[in-house]
Amino acid sequence: MAVVHEFQYYRPEKLDEVLVLLARQKEKARILAGGTDLAVYIKEGLDHPQVVIDVKHVSELKKIEYDNNSLFIGALATFSDILANEHIKMNYLMLWESAQSVASMGIRNRATLVGNICSAVPSLDSAPALLCYDAIVHTHSLEGTRSIPIREWFVSPRKTAKAEDEIVMGVTIPKIAAKHAGCYLKLGRYRGEDLAQAGLGVLLTEEKHYRIAYCAVGPIPKRVEEIENLLNGKTLNEAIVKEAKGLVPQLISPITDIRSSKEYRTHMCQVMLERGLQAATDRLQGKTVDSTKVLGG
Amino acid sequence: MAQIKFILNSENRIIDVQPNEILLDVLRDKLGLKSPKCGCDRGDCGACAVLLNGKSVRSCLVFAIEVDGQEVRTLEGISADKLTQLQESFIEFNSFQCGYCAPGVIISATELLSHNPHPELEEIKEALSGNLCRCTGYKPIFEAILDASHKEEK
Amino acid sequence: MRDFRFIGKPITRIDGREKVSGAAIYGDDIDFGPNLLHAEIVSSTQAHARIISIDTSEAEKVQDVVKVFTGKDFPFKFGLYMKDRYIFAQDKVRFYGEQVAAVVARTPQAAKKAAQLVKVEYEPLPAVLNQIDSYKEGATLVHPELGEYPHVPWFFPKAGTNVAHWRKTRRGDMEAGFKEADLVFEDTYHVPRYAHCAIETHVAIGKYDLSGRLTVWSSSQSPHTQRHLFQEALSSMGLSHKDVRVIAPHVGGGFGGKAGVTMEILPAALATKLKGYAVKIRWTREQEFVNTYQRLDVVAKIKIGVKKDGTITALDHQLYWDAGAYVEYGANVVNAVGLSAIGPYRIPNISIDSVCIYTNLPPGGAYRGFGYSEMLFGLESHITRVANQLGIDPVQFRLMNAIKEGDKTAYGASMNPNGLIQAIEKVAAEIEWGKKIESKDPKKAIGKGFSLFWKAPAMPPNASSSAFLKFNEDASINLIISGMDIGQGYQTVMAQIAAEILSVPPSKIRVETPDTDRNPYEWQTVASHITWGSGNAVKKAAIDARDQILDLIERVYCLPKNELYLEDEAVKCHTQPKFIKPLREFVVDGIMTEDGTFKGGPINARGMFMPEFSSTNGDPETSQGGHPNVHYTVGAGALIVEIDRETGKMHVLKAVEAVDVGQALNPSLIHGQITGGLLQGLATVLYEDMRYDDKGKLLNPNFTDYKIPTAMDVPDEIVPIIIEVPQPDGPFGARGVGEHTMLPAAPMIANAVEDALGIRIKSMPITAEKIALEMLKKQ
Repeated sequence: MAVVHEFQYYRPEKLDEVLVLLARQKEKARILAGGTDLAVYIKEGLDHPQVVIDVKHVSELKKIEYDNNSLFIGALATFSDILANEHIKMNYLMLWESAQSVASMGIRNRATLVGNICSAVPSLDSAPALLCYDAIVHTHSLEGTRSIPIREWFVSPRKTAKAEDEIVMGVTIPKIAAKHAGCYLKLGRYRGEDLAQAGLGVLLTEEKHYRIAYCAVGPIPKRVEEIENLLNGKTLNEAIVKEAKGLVPQLISPITDIRSSKEYRTHMCQVMLERGLQAATDRLQGKTVDSTKVLGG
Repeated sequence: MAQIKFILNSENRIIDVQPNEILLDVLRDKLGLKSPKCGCDRGDCGACAVLLNGKSVRSCLVFAIEVDGQEVRTLEGISADKLTQLQESFIEFNSFQCGYCAPGVIISATELLSHNPHPELEEIKEALSGNLCRCTGYKPIFEAILDASHKEEK
Repeated sequence: MRDFRFIGKPITRIDGREKVSGAAIYGDDIDFGPNLLHAEIVSSTQAHARIISIDTSEAEKVQDVVKVFTGKDFPFKFGLYMKDRYIFAQDKVRFYGEQVAAVVARTPQAAKKAAQLVKVEYEPLPAVLNQIDSYKEGATLVHPELGEYPHVPWFFPKAGTNVAHWRKTRRGDMEAGFKEADLVFEDTYHVPRYAHCAIETHVAIGKYDLSGRLTVWSSSQSPHTQRHLFQEALSSMGLSHKDVRVIAPHVGGGFGGKAGVTMEILPAALATKLKGYAVKIRWTREQEFVNTYQRLDVVAKIKIGVKKDGTITALDHQLYWDAGAYVEYGANVVNAVGLSAIGPYRIPNISIDSVCIYTNLPPGGAYRGFGYSEMLFGLESHITRVANQLGIDPVQFRLMNAIKEGDKTAYGASMNPNGLIQAIEKVAAEIEWGKKIESKDPKKAIGKGFSLFWKAPAMPPNASSSAFLKFNEDASINLIISGMDIGQGYQTVMAQIAAEILSVPPSKIRVETPDTDRNPYEWQTVASHITWGSGNAVKKAAIDARDQILDLIERVYCLPKNELYLEDEAVKCHTQPKFIKPLREFVVDGIMTEDGTFKGGPINARGMFMPEFSSTNGDPETSQGGHPNVHYTVGAGALIVEIDRETGKMHVLKAVEAVDVGQALNPSLIHGQITGGLLQGLATVLYEDMRYDDKGKLLNPNFTDYKIPTAMDVPDEIVPIIIEVPQPDGPFGARGVGEHTMLPAAPMIANAVEDALGIRIKSMPITAEKIALEMLKKQ
């Protein structure tokens, strides 16, 4: 497709150059990593940056690092990089699962986790996992660096806490010390590539501590603390799960759109909560669960 | 205009591009490689898949200027010498009908087999899930990939 | 058992190497050099409006723009069966997305940029956005001039209304039939619009050269029909058919969408105003969704009368079709169903009303199945429900009422030989009909669904095919025909037919995509008629070649022709076993005789086929008396689906489909049709539909939200079954199969859902969401 919009292209190799460009161009500039969103926006005339900064050759952004306490995923790490990383699969399964649910191989080879959270669309697959893991987003500008808890990151649809002159360096995910298990359940129109009609992350620890987050059923992805508080410290049983499901409709704000009705989304968020809790519990007990089959289909 | 140098199907190429030119258009219109097809122009269909540094990407979502210094391979490059076992299996199992999606499908399958020479059926489905085919119902494609993976073994 | 050498064999496709190597050339792949111009179309942003003004001045100022065109430049009407369509909108637009103007520029960028600067001022008119509103008295007329439109004699438009055509079929005494019934059951079904979604969008390039000849390169199922319509539409230019040439390269999927003429008229027309240039248009995916033919939406009211013993006594089937803003092709979908809406059943008393209604939505047209999928969703759902109400097993009920050879079709002609009973029995056995399966997962239920299907080619009675065949020096063959290999394997099968007659292997036969200047006439590659029609023409051409060969041998060697035969690329003689004359020795060069002179010469043959028994001369009030359909292809299908009661998510565990192909010319290609067609059918029922807002704008014109299945969405198991009850007038007994394979999918799912969950869903698609919400209601 011929692209009508014209822009300047920069390919800095040093972070400082990126920061200077950002400071100078601000809202006129866009960071280009995988480009799977940006290229579409520019092609379809939805975004008109004057400057595109290709950061794929800035070495500081390329790393995935981990130790006993945390995992750092750099801005250039693609979903394929995440999926190929055994440490992530072993220790941050929910994140790995959500990476698996993003689009398809040819997109995941380019699309980055950081790009995903910068798009800040409500249906963001990686958000529930990052919310459950209490991830921290690291930004950098000429003014300095900031570390922003993921819960403060999403501001409104397509809007984040990132300032115009900032670049996201990466995301830190603290390791949960206690024995824990989690899962990401994605509701799509079919098993193949789809944007989430609803997404749910559930994480629970051996000490009965619960972390639960939804995406695609409100303006921004979010944790549902009311449900977490209800469940914390408790062993799951039919009554408490029913009570938790009862809270769901007042905690989410789904809309009716081309992908689903509000009614179905609400119903499914309850079903997903019940099944997600079960799947996470099963995993905690050492059982194997294929999260892509939990909802049927 | 900017000059870019890259390796295209094992040849060194130097061309001039505008920053807003899309790799798919440049490959097709400036370099005459017609195997990557345009099907949706927004990364949904996979017909434009090419290998960028050995990994399949949607060439409709890549600016040509990004591939400066990189290596690009299209189906023309894969077929240049002789058809691969995968391509032979595609013929044997009727794994295409109209053939329009075939280049993209073969690129994805080639990538899969390059890092997973003996994939399970579920892995094949997963690897191809971004390549839409409206004709075959996909099953003949699975059969060809399984066949190629067995034959390569021998 | 007939002893064939090439027929019935799973020969690999002759276009295989081309298509897997990337060598195959499609419309968008052709290079035209620097004289190529690019056109960008300005589309309507209103469903129904008067065009007050079009201001092109800003667009014309853009660097590299050559010219801007509007409807004023092309005041011509055209259409396949009814001339109700304009090249560009004239005084009015009739659907959102209709072509209003074109910017032609030297670069695609310039064309696109300038198109955004064309200002169109509209005065909105009330829009009719569904057929039920449009059918009402007093509805806004989409075409007030309907009474003046030329059309084929078998269409019956009602001037002063939005009814573009009304096919009535009546036989027996419907009132009496219902009186006789012990149970009369009535309900309404709805099927929305669908998009073909060939992965290649429409593309066409027109060139009007300095000598006044128009060439159009087109991704097409219908090169000759396109040539004819271009000539008609542009007749004011003084173009003769010989001056119009359509070249059709490989087609990246058709499914009916590239039949007839849609956007191809635009580059053809634009080129005539830009002499010497080639003008190219490639539809974007969005334009592909919005401004090509779409499958029609239908509301079907079905009333069936049955006796306690299971005999069907009467059927009243009313189908109201949303045919869109122009019905030049789509009205024939309505017509086809109006002749066949009894389904593959023997029913004595029938009334069918198939009503083609204009709306302010995009034009409806051909889509694989040509109306039968839509019709069968209601009918085959209804048949199962009636059987269940009678307490008769639905498969048993179908066996009792299935149409047989010699039974009357709806329009009173005799049903062709067919293997419907065999198909039902084989499918029932394969799916273990009657055996209940419990899911291992307590949250899930498993159901089985069954459906029959039938379909006839919908063609004008004189739709014909032809073939040229020429031998090369080494006895390889160029088979020159004009059907399109849209993926079904047409070229391979035609090569097999010629191969069988001439004993030359298909791998030595080249079949190219057509060029109307050089290839003989073919009506269109539609209606699943091409194996049958073109196959007959190819067979005749091959027989013609064989006759020429044997005549020559008889003449030169004084061997009796009736003792001569072809085997292994040589002429042999029954009475002279030692006589072997390889074809390569003479099919071009002739045979040297004793005096040094040569006899014979290049073997060039031809064949033609037209179904001379077909006629549309039925009574307009009853459709009785003609023979509009050449034959029906029939079959049966069944599937097993596992459904999650809470989420509604479905998974097809197994699907079986049996189709009576007459004679399988290439079983491997038929399996391909069954697998692919079944998935396309399942997609229409499980995932897809076109959604419009209340202004007539399509909400999901992309694959992000129009969900065609991926590799992860296929049934676990598909069992194809080939039934072979020969078609007497088919090539080696073959009949068409391409469209049929998707027909039973939707009712199979609807019936299986009811079997599993006890809920009946009467409108497509049957999504997980619909099931889950229905289950919630039920609780």
